[in-house]
Amino acid sequence: MASTGLSFSVPGEAAVPAACDVVVGIAAWNNAGTIGEVARAVAHALGRYGPGAGVVLADGGSADGTIERAREALAGMPAVMTVEFARPAIDPLRAPYHGLPGRPAAMASIFREAAGRQAKALALVDAALTSVTPDWIARLVDPVLEGGFDFVSACHARLAHEGAITRSIVYPLFRALYGLRLHQPAAGEFGCSLRFVRQVLDQDIWAGEAAQTGIDVWLESEAATGQFQVGEAQLGPRTRAPTPDAPDLSTTLTQVVGALFADLAARTEVWQRVRGSVPVPSFGEAPKIAEPSSVPDVMPMLEAFRLGYTALADLWGWILEPRILLQLKRLASAPPERFRVDDGLWVQIVYDFALAYGLRTLPRDHLLGALTPLYLGWLAGFLLELGEAEPADADARVERLCLAFETKKPYLIAGWRWPDRFRA
Amino acid sequence: MSPRPGIADPLWYKDAIIYELPVRSFYDSNDDGIGDLPGLLQKLDYLQSLGVTCLWLLPIFPSPLKDDGYDIADYRSIHPSYGTLDDFTRFLEAAHERGLRVIIELVLNHSSDQHAWFQRARHAPAGSIERDFYVWSDTDQKYRDARIIFVDSEPSNWTWDPVAQAYYWHRFFHHQPDLNYDNPAVLQEILGILDFWLGLGVDGLRLDAVPYLVELDGTSCENLPGTHDILRAIRRHVDTHWPHRLLLAEANQLPDEVSAYFGAGDECHMAYHFPLMPRLFLGLHLEERDPIVEVMARTPAIPDTCQWALFLRNHDELTLEMVTEDERDYMYLAFSAQPGARLNVGIRRRLAPLLNNSRRRIELLTSILLSFPGTPILYYGDEIRMGDNIHLGDRNGVRTPMQWSGDRNAGFSRADPERLYSPPIVDPVYGYQAVNVEAAEREPGSLLHWTRNMTRLRRMFKVFGRGTLEFLAPDNRKVLAYLRRYEGDVVLCVANLARTAQPVQLDLAALDGLVPVEMFGYTEFPVIGRQPYFLTFGPYGFYWFELQRPG
Repeated sequence: MASTGLSFSVPGEAAVPAACDVVVGIAAWNNAGTIGEVARAVAHALGRYGPGAGVVLADGGSADGTIERAREALAGMPAVMTVEFARPAIDPLRAPYHGLPGRPAAMASIFREAAGRQAKALALVDAALTSVTPDWIARLVDPVLEGGFDFVSACHARLAHEGAITRSIVYPLFRALYGLRLHQPAAGEFGCSLRFVRQVLDQDIWAGEAAQTGIDVWLESEAATGQFQVGEAQLGPRTRAPTPDAPDLSTTLTQVVGALFADLAARTEVWQRVRGSVPVPSFGEAPKIAEPSSVPDVMPMLEAFRLGYTALADLWGWILEPRILLQLKRLASAPPERFRVDDGLWVQIVYDFALAYGLRTLPRDHLLGALTPLYLGWLAGFLLELGEAEPADADARVERLCLAFETKKPYLIAGWRWPDRFRA
Repeated sequence: MSPRPGIADPLWYKDAIIYELPVRSFYDSNDDGIGDLPGLLQKLDYLQSLGVTCLWLLPIFPSPLKDDGYDIADYRSIHPSYGTLDDFTRFLEAAHERGLRVIIELVLNHSSDQHAWFQRARHAPAGSIERDFYVWSDTDQKYRDARIIFVDSEPSNWTWDPVAQAYYWHRFFHHQPDLNYDNPAVLQEILGILDFWLGLGVDGLRLDAVPYLVELDGTSCENLPGTHDILRAIRRHVDTHWPHRLLLAEANQLPDEVSAYFGAGDECHMAYHFPLMPRLFLGLHLEERDPIVEVMARTPAIPDTCQWALFLRNHDELTLEMVTEDERDYMYLAFSAQPGARLNVGIRRRLAPLLNNSRRRIELLTSILLSFPGTPILYYGDEIRMGDNIHLGDRNGVRTPMQWSGDRNAGFSRADPERLYSPPIVDPVYGYQAVNVEAAEREPGSLLHWTRNMTRLRRMFKVFGRGTLEFLAPDNRKVLAYLRRYEGDVVLCVANLARTAQPVQLDLAALDGLVPVEMFGYTEFPVIGRQPYFLTFGPYGFYWFELQRPG
């Protein structure tokens, strides 16, 4: 469906009032199966904010009745606005985005509507989720409305073995770079203030290619590096309806880590001045979730790491120092019971990949693809070390990893500033 | 109009690193032996990787090329050797896509004698608007107090025109008649030209030879109030119609005279700091910081929105007009042993030959260039230590083809060598067989990679482009030390101007408790205390320190 990017109201809907205290944005595209539950949760949550609350549904041209399902679910809501956003054309040569295609355009549409209505607080949720509850909205919105916060990041409850890309790279690196302990900087849900909305709408990120896969990380780092009051909301698990075209691990890793590396490259003057990190205020209790009876099988991960070493060691030689390669060589022949990726080793691998990304040592897609077997090696070691540990144990383990990222940050700074000093 | 990078920051030029290049010399895409705009477009990735943020193109207009294009015959078109307006637009868009801004020349003072305005003026009746586009006289005795600039080639600032039966005024070559700004129609034409190029998306204009716009008997005809009136009118026009575009003044004058070209922030945004450049070379050769410190001490404060343009070398001779006679004699003895190296009041040499191809000296001067208050300008080829050819006449020896590789014609062109606009450098030291981009790319320790690191570092710290300057005064006068401050950042730069190892004790008591972190390797040095801070240097060594609070 052709998209105009223009705002319009679906006939039969009441327009969002000219001024709104609270707006919740729902980004959707062909989510007829899930949007009803999401919308009901939002409607339920907004009931407590009275008539000054509204919903902005940003739709990318759904053809499966998404808008109708949403309208049914929001039937009792006084103020609903539908806007259409432009989905990017599908590039057959590129892996599909692991999230909503055209997410930046959807966000921008919602932001513009919220800004136009002077909304004091805005929360954003994804229509593909199956786990949204009313308390999500309250925890994202209330700190903005009542506490003067500008940005409230979502922190979803996770099992010990879940969210490993975030635990291994995104959280520790984001924290070391920008000095804020935001545990899930690419979660997707957030609450924010009108001041924040206006600030980000002014930036020229929205139409760029980098935004297509990196808008969530960009928003978090914009919040972390600007003069904003930032907090974190404890939410329940984040689950999505399964889709047949879900990207594989390597694609997701490439997109998420690539987005963070791109952000790093764009904010050098900021992160090179930050030392250490501080916690952010947290809202709500982290919900308890039951651990499964079994842990994932690490043998395929170990196999992928060893295969990666065999196939990619030469390529890694362009990115990693010789002593790192020697450690990887030893790991490749280590038996499972002794297989552990030392924190110092992992930090240096991530930092060396970030440096190579900045220097364009290799084409960036190839570079990030070469990280996948190393990540699987780290994950195997992490799971073997944790065994059947509780999420809290995983968090404590990740905390140690984060400190290693912070301690070794001068290596990243030095490498960024004088990249060839060892080769000169 | 192509989108322009970083339009949000009106002071973008303060953080810029400018790269000056003649299109003719950079890369030939159509095998005619002359560099062109499509060729330059092909090399934009190289320029982006070098870390520069703004390109300054030498004149690209139709011209008889008697003065390398500074003799413009048509202000609204492109010289056919370089391409077309479409080529220029494509180049501009490609540059902007890479975050590179583009500055072009606007020669305000004069045109070519081939320009239609001059041809029309010669035939127009005396006193007509057309005739008065230029400065005419029945006698060559007017404005006798104005000096002759090109003393080696021009006996007078007046030349007789047999068609007009009158003398016409020219401050430069006789084929470059001065425009007459007493005629309001001239300024209107110039503003129209300015609209034309800014409308295409050009980010700024370098205003060539601005001190000479207006003439007045009994004066030197330089820096006159009327000239500043013209510049203010131009600036008003730019601010009204093209906000955030840059006007860069070329005024080879002393700092207090040049600073007048900033006005009250209502004339040019930037102007060259001509006197600094020879004193950097002088200080290095004397192994003595005083020439550098003194010229900066004599540099007046400028409006907050204005900026000095700093350079080591450019497309002209190393001009010695703005030094004392003793200093000039010293510079000639020190830097132009070959008589052919001297031209007009200066030395026609590139950076590497001036410094005897010493890598350490090049790095030292470049480090000062990049850390002094102002916007640095790099001259094409200096990043790979290109040499020159003083036997090519005028300043052509520093405008030879860019040396891309060891292939035929230095990889600059696939034309037959005899078709090249200029022979490439082929001498044993600087010849393209050894000195070229391809070789430098493959050598991790090359000056090219070093320059990339330096530009990258400079771009991270606004303090270099925007901060204040405060010299320290250690006893060892071979050491140049200065503090730069901007908002919360404090940077200490220290440089050894000597060819031998040197110690220095710096009085940093006012910074007691801060930790110097060496900026290149991010290495912490001992904390600053009340006692003198002791440092040692190898020959021509230098440090940049961020002064941080202890963690």
